[in-house]
Amino acid sequence: MNIKHTILLAVLFFYAGIVNAQKPENVLAAVGTPPNPKVQVSWNRYNDYAAITDICKKLAAAHPNLVKLEAMGKSFQGKDLWVMTISDTKVGNTDKKPAMYIDGNIHSNEIQGSEFALYTAWYLVEMYASGNKAIQSLLAEKTFYIAPTINPDARDHFLHQANTPNSPRTGLIPIDNDRDGITNEDGFDDLDGDGHIVMMRRKNVNGRYKVDPTDNRRMIMVGGEEKGEYELLGSEGIDNDGDGFVNEDGEGAYDPNRDWGWNWQPNYIQSGAYKYPFSIPENRAIVDFVMKHPNIAAAQSYHNNGGMILRGPGALEDLDTYNAQDVSVYDALGKKGEEMLPGYRYLVVYKDLYSVFGGELDWFYGGRGIYTFSNELWTGYSMYNKANGEDSQSQLYTFDKDLLMKDAFIDWHPFKHPTYGEIEIGGFKKTYTRLHPGFLLESDAHRNMAFSVYHAYNTPKLSVGEIEVISIGGGLTQVTAIVNNERMIPTHSSQDVKNNIETPDLISLTGGMVVAGMMVNNRDLGLTTEQKGDPANIKVNNIAGNGFVTVRWLVKGGTKFTVNVSSKKGGIATKSN
Amino acid sequence: MKKLYLFNLFFLFLATASFAQSQQDYSTNAVLAQRVKSLVQKYPQLVKSKSLTQTLGGRDIWMLTIGAGKTEDKPAIAVVGGVEGKHLLGVEMAIGFAEKLLASSGVDSIKNLLNTHTYYVFPNMSPDATEQYFARVKAERSGNENKTDDDRDGKLNEDGAEDLDGNGKITWMRILDPTGKYKLNTDDPRSLLIADATKGEAGKYILLPEGLDNDKDGDFNEDGEGGIHFNKNSSFNFKAFASGAGEYAVSEKENRALFDFLFDAFNVYAVVTFGPVNNLSNPVTFNASGIAKRIITSWYESDAKANALVSERYNKITKTKDAPKMQAENGDFSQWGYFHYGRLSFSTPGWWVPKVNPDSTRKEKKFVNEDAVASYLRWAASQGITNTYTPWKAISHPDFPGQTVEVGGLDPFVLTNPPYKMVEGIVGKHTDFLVALAGMAPKLDLVNIKTEKVADGLTRVTLKVMNIGDLPTYTRVGDRSYFLKKILVKVNLNANQTVVSGRKTQTIESIQGKENKELTWLIKGNGKVTIDAGSLTTGNKSIEVTL
Repeated sequence: MNIKHTILLAVLFFYAGIVNAQKPENVLAAVGTPPNPKVQVSWNRYNDYAAITDICKKLAAAHPNLVKLEAMGKSFQGKDLWVMTISDTKVGNTDKKPAMYIDGNIHSNEIQGSEFALYTAWYLVEMYASGNKAIQSLLAEKTFYIAPTINPDARDHFLHQANTPNSPRTGLIPIDNDRDGITNEDGFDDLDGDGHIVMMRRKNVNGRYKVDPTDNRRMIMVGGEEKGEYELLGSEGIDNDGDGFVNEDGEGAYDPNRDWGWNWQPNYIQSGAYKYPFSIPENRAIVDFVMKHPNIAAAQSYHNNGGMILRGPGALEDLDTYNAQDVSVYDALGKKGEEMLPGYRYLVVYKDLYSVFGGELDWFYGGRGIYTFSNELWTGYSMYNKANGEDSQSQLYTFDKDLLMKDAFIDWHPFKHPTYGEIEIGGFKKTYTRLHPGFLLESDAHRNMAFSVYHAYNTPKLSVGEIEVISIGGGLTQVTAIVNNERMIPTHSSQDVKNNIETPDLISLTGGMVVAGMMVNNRDLGLTTEQKGDPANIKVNNIAGNGFVTVRWLVKGGTKFTVNVSSKKGGIATKSN
Repeated sequence: MKKLYLFNLFFLFLATASFAQSQQDYSTNAVLAQRVKSLVQKYPQLVKSKSLTQTLGGRDIWMLTIGAGKTEDKPAIAVVGGVEGKHLLGVEMAIGFAEKLLASSGVDSIKNLLNTHTYYVFPNMSPDATEQYFARVKAERSGNENKTDDDRDGKLNEDGAEDLDGNGKITWMRILDPTGKYKLNTDDPRSLLIADATKGEAGKYILLPEGLDNDKDGDFNEDGEGGIHFNKNSSFNFKAFASGAGEYAVSEKENRALFDFLFDAFNVYAVVTFGPVNNLSNPVTFNASGIAKRIITSWYESDAKANALVSERYNKITKTKDAPKMQAENGDFSQWGYFHYGRLSFSTPGWWVPKVNPDSTRKEKKFVNEDAVASYLRWAASQGITNTYTPWKAISHPDFPGQTVEVGGLDPFVLTNPPYKMVEGIVGKHTDFLVALAGMAPKLDLVNIKTEKVADGLTRVTLKVMNIGDLPTYTRVGDRSYFLKKILVKVNLNANQTVVSGRKTQTIESIQGKENKELTWLIKGNGKVTIDAGSLTTGNKSIEVTL
């Protein structure tokens, strides 16, 4: 080690001392939060792809028994699509435990989903490490697959390039949106070079806008008999390709959430669709991953915004896919979510939002029978913890003034536009209106994490209950076993049962020579249905949520029997008499 | 190394020689690869070949690009064969078209065509399946080599067919059984028909494909070799969870590779499929209610008209008739070509069992029942074809102890694939059709060019953008799809010229065949101005006007 390194190390230690000013012995743990996490993360800001990668790697390094980090595949630009497998690897087989899949950021401007997903991963492992019993037992029973960003290319574009709160929503495969043969030739232009794409306004006696007298940053429309003073000219930009349209062919644009293989429709029917289901490489990597993990029984895909807990169907045409039995499970979960997430409403996409084809939650449920929600993170309710003002424009301005010290707004300033002449540029930054302000980010991440924990907790938990052994004469023994599902979610959703998506649950008997096997429909009345082939391994289409099935075998020989249960989404269970 | 080279050369010589004159049967994938290779070697200026992908079975999906110069900038037709793995004729028609077309590339009309037009030929989209035709046991197969759990019991390919009578073909078995739904066809007792209970008829036989119930689940041959069907895996009208359809639409390498290519081939204005669907003998009919919903199920009216125009040409050129109506399968490729790819999509099986009148010398009577098998057998007899039917013969079957089980019936493949000696004629007619279709392609012209002096240094320029072809510049269904390009019109000015009225650059939506759109500009300044118009499906046109 040379002297330079020694000095560097000394400096590092010095700063480390400062960073660790709040030593464990100097602080009192606040309830429900990891008191002394091995991986320190600030949950009041947003991370680019490099920072997300760093957090994932640190979590995996600090908690090798709980976190496995792998790439599901590559993004269009070649970035690894990280997924963390989180479970107690010392208990059971991770890929056989009932699992929950969580991702975020499918829409590139909806970035906080990544922080929420990361927070969930961090919280689970740090709470486990701190000795929290609830999380320890959860990770003994369940597995979480957490993919913080499934659109890393465009996430970095949103973070590092000048953008509006709404751009880009797409991934970065170039598209010729105006169909003139050239791609991405007319996007936004950061005219003043300040790193933000905001609005353009111009003084015009015929304009229909005026300055709001209560807040001079805000433009309001004038009434029918009133004269305006400004016209609005849209987002910062010029007509780069000289076709008479401004900003009509920028990054992308397609919608990664119209790309999923359930009732997929092409872009002339469903705008945003790309070439065919999973034609976007990021989504293809996910579908391959999900197909390889049939233990996924629950899923969450984080979006923004509006404070919604969304379930399918996404399209009116898919109404029949969801039947009453599955809806009752969704309802129970969703209504609990409304209690846990103030200001959030449990809604159905096609009727409460819009009717769209090819959404992620539709494929997860329709294609794989997985109970899936998409939470639309951030609601204006959180500004003043009050309903009814959520969507009002004026509240955005007052909240910015009252609580954000006017940090969210670029003040109007003059600019000489090559086409429009003297204009003014100003408006909200991309980090406002759809994204959480820093001080509310951790709080809402925590609440959404708790909802996912509740969702995951309710994936099936199978156990073998009573095993009754009776000799029925003629050298035959009758073994009757009860298999319970102790949670709310069935091993097979009714969509799954209807279409035979996943193979049946297997209930097997060892310990004697099985001569007959049957499902017991009514134990008291002795009603059974025999399974003629392979009687030792009884196939059960479903074990209902908070329900049970009864099976029976007739066996020659043996007194000591073991019942094994194996279910793709329900995990395994075993018991001997 | 050198030896190997010489050996290859020798093999190639053999192969070329034999294909040129005396191919006796449909093409194996090895033969197809050789035919592709020889075309590239013989016409290096006009043909490029490429393997789009390899199937899970390790077989190439070949693509030929036929045309001179920058083929990607010229209007193009995609010709696709082998969409249905049982239909070997489709493969033969696609590769045969390429060979016949190029053989006449010395003729002026074809030479000119290949200078201005491109063909993309995909001879076989189901090479894993077609190979089954040449297997030791001949069996119809549509699926690729993806291992699927067709009966969703957790086991893969555990219940395929067996050649119980050892004749090298998977045919049929009929079981005498009081619960059977089938009866003998009175027109021809070699064939069986479903008994019509509403007419008081009783069934006598269970009819199943030849084989055993290997997994003892009560179903026969329901989960054998052969995974996903190319022609069930497209995204239009895809049926999830159907056997052979795939876990989701366009899940297979074959489909993805073709679609990826086609979506980026903006110059393609028409797709011609040699497969089960037939909208060339009888064009689609426009159905207003089919376009009233979000998910449309009918061709748009203007596109249906284009189909009618092309169909008329097809019937005239090929002189085919009596085509049976075919219901398109879910996830079918040719329907995808129109509804999701947004191109004019035409399809024909190329051949079907011809109708023959009863032959009184053989004491034949007019048929009472509709039965493809009986019709085939009658036609085959008229042609002297005798080796395509196996007489029913009793066997002992372990799944039907004590019952009479007979194996026999019509051979696989023969209903859709004619004897090979007929193929050349079919290929010839369809080559003529594909050449004629290219003659109908959309084509751009700028006509009725007018300049008017409005004032000193101010000129009004008016012209008509005309589609002098028969087919639209792009389809009505493609109107809102960004995978079809509009016609781009540009006025090129020097520093002293400005457009005062009208757009300097603009795009124009679809123009029907023989229709036009008028454009006008007011231009300030003097001297010459050029105006360019063009798109990849129409070609380009440039004019010069003097202000």
